[in-house]
Amino acid sequence: MSVIELQGVEQRFHARGTPDGYLTALKDATFTLQSEPPQIVSLVGQSGSGKSTIARNILGLQKPTAGTISFDGKDIFKLSRAEYDNYRRNVQPVFQDPYSIFNPFYRVDRVLWKAVKKFGLAPDRTKGLAMIEESLDAVSLDPAGVLGRYPHQLSGGQRQRIMLARIHMLRPAFVIADEPVSMLDAQIRKTFLDILLDFRRDHGMTTLFITHDLSTVYYLGGGVMVINKGSIVERGAVESVMHEPSHPYTQLLLDSIPQPDPDQRWTNRIHVDDSGTQTPDSAPQEPVV
Amino acid sequence: MTMRLLTAVLRTVRDSRRLATGLVILALMVLLAVFSPLIVHSIGHGNDPIALAAYQKWLVPSPDHLLGTDQFGRDVLAMVVSAMSVSLQIGAIAGVISTVVGVIVAFVAGYKGGWVDGVLSTFTGILLVIPTFPLLIALSAYAKNVSLFQVGVMISIFSWPFAAKTIRSQVLSLRSRPYVDLARVSKARDLEIIGTELLPNLLPFIGVGFASSALGAIFGLVGLEVIGLGPGGVIDLGQIIFNAINTGALTLGAWPMFVVPIVLLTLLFAALNMVNIGLEEVYNPRLRGVAGE
Ligand SMILES: Nc1ncnc2c1ncn2[C@@H]1O[C@H](COP(=O)(O)OP(=O)(O)OP(=O)(O)O)[C@@H](O)[C@H]1O
Ligand SMILES: [Mg+2]
Repeated sequence: MSVIELQGVEQRFHARGTPDGYLTALKDATFTLQSEPPQIVSLVGQSGSGKSTIARNILGLQKPTAGTISFDGKDIFKLSRAEYDNYRRNVQPVFQDPYSIFNPFYRVDRVLWKAVKKFGLAPDRTKGLAMIEESLDAVSLDPAGVLGRYPHQLSGGQRQRIMLARIHMLRPAFVIADEPVSMLDAQIRKTFLDILLDFRRDHGMTTLFITHDLSTVYYLGGGVMVINKGSIVERGAVESVMHEPSHPYTQLLLDSIPQPDPDQRWTNRIHVDDSGTQTPDSAPQEPVV
Repeated sequence: MTMRLLTAVLRTVRDSRRLATGLVILALMVLLAVFSPLIVHSIGHGNDPIALAAYQKWLVPSPDHLLGTDQFGRDVLAMVVSAMSVSLQIGAIAGVISTVVGVIVAFVAGYKGGWVDGVLSTFTGILLVIPTFPLLIALSAYAKNVSLFQVGVMISIFSWPFAAKTIRSQVLSLRSRPYVDLARVSKARDLEIIGTELLPNLLPFIGVGFASSALGAIFGLVGLEVIGLGPGGVIDLGQIIFNAINTGALTLGAWPMFVVPIVLLTLLFAALNMVNIGLEEVYNPRLRGVAGE
């Protein structure tokens, strides 16, 4: 069993215009992710709350200014060669933007071949290709339709599924998914989430699923953490947090979910008075930003 | 990798007529320069047409001497052809040096960031604001009998910061691209990321850096020649112009001596600029709309 553990992680950035010249993107983040039993933990919060910062910290792309992140008890920024290989193999990302994740200079296959070569997944090209095709199949992509293409020749959904195929090949214990579906349309979004759920069931992957959209959190179930202005303000099982939020910010997020009833929407118009402040007719409908 | 580079280059060229035109003109000029010894030789029919008193002075253009001869009786066509090769050489020397130095500085500064970037950027910035031409004049007046290569190096000292500055800002913007992060979680090392993820995408900017440094050097040398401070022993296009002005060639009916080098320089200027703009056009699609293509 593997564990990712964050202890008092703080991330500050130099920023102009703040009183002390710093912006604290993440404050005292402490939590653990376990690979057994495999689970999906969502991290919700609005834009700028520090979600991507956590993801980059866990992925070792950004060294936090304070606190420690450990993988199986070892600080991820002080790993030996073998430990580093093991950590990389077991902690892998899916990023938000399916466009800029591909280097426009290369064909999309390269991302998959890189995984094969860098992690020594297959002894030779034939086996490697077989593996790539199997993984594309697992995310319902037709290998003939995507291999040999350039990124701009594929749709956002196809590209994001190539990233999932990469995950499928590597079978990491942990997937760090930073808003992987925010740029996909509803149909593709569901397919994507279902693949993640399959991965958990079939390959025992634990996912940290970052999102600002509560409906995907509902859909995935499992655990949820709510982050506000760099602090994790609430955590627990999705059902309990959603139904009995204990922190006012969570309530605010819940209130900001658009109502599914179209008639409701029209009766609850927003009025803007002379002072420019918005006053909803009844319960707040629009996202509170 | 080389194949891929080649197809990428071809794709780029196909996307912009301006780029293609510029490259074709440049290629023709380079061809002419490469074959200039042969051309000069055939003009001289075995003798050196650029030797002093090879022919009569101030011959007007005729089938024997298409562009006439100068005050020393040298064939102007032969002079122009070899001078162009000299001008292209200085462009290539300064272009290569400035680009290589600029790229290295830009990558180190942009990728490493922190104090390394601070020091390098400050240094680059200082060089950028130094008025180049007066310093060049001072340098060449001081250094008598400099060779073509030395002049190239001198000019490069002042032109690499431009290349470094453009490329650094590109490295900064590319460095935070998600595909760089993906490479890092795929265990790619810094050098590998610079070489395979960043460099290919920077080719157009490197091309622009090269073209503008080369252009700067060619015209820098012309400027030095026109005021009589060029390197000794070589004739570039600027020196022919300098001669034409000094001897009043135009009043003697030897107009080709003045006009042809200027036409060639203009063409070179236009070609390199077309390459510059073409590259930017292809890689910055927003510009394409403005250009209406
Ligand atoms: N490299 C950086 N330098 C300076 N400030 C940064 C940097 N990265 C993030 N920040 C700041 O940290 C804060 C948190 O950013 P982060 O990207 O983690 O937010 P987020 O929750 O992922 O938002 P979004 O939903 O928009 O992606 C923001 O205010 C952002 O401006
Ligand atoms: Mg984010």
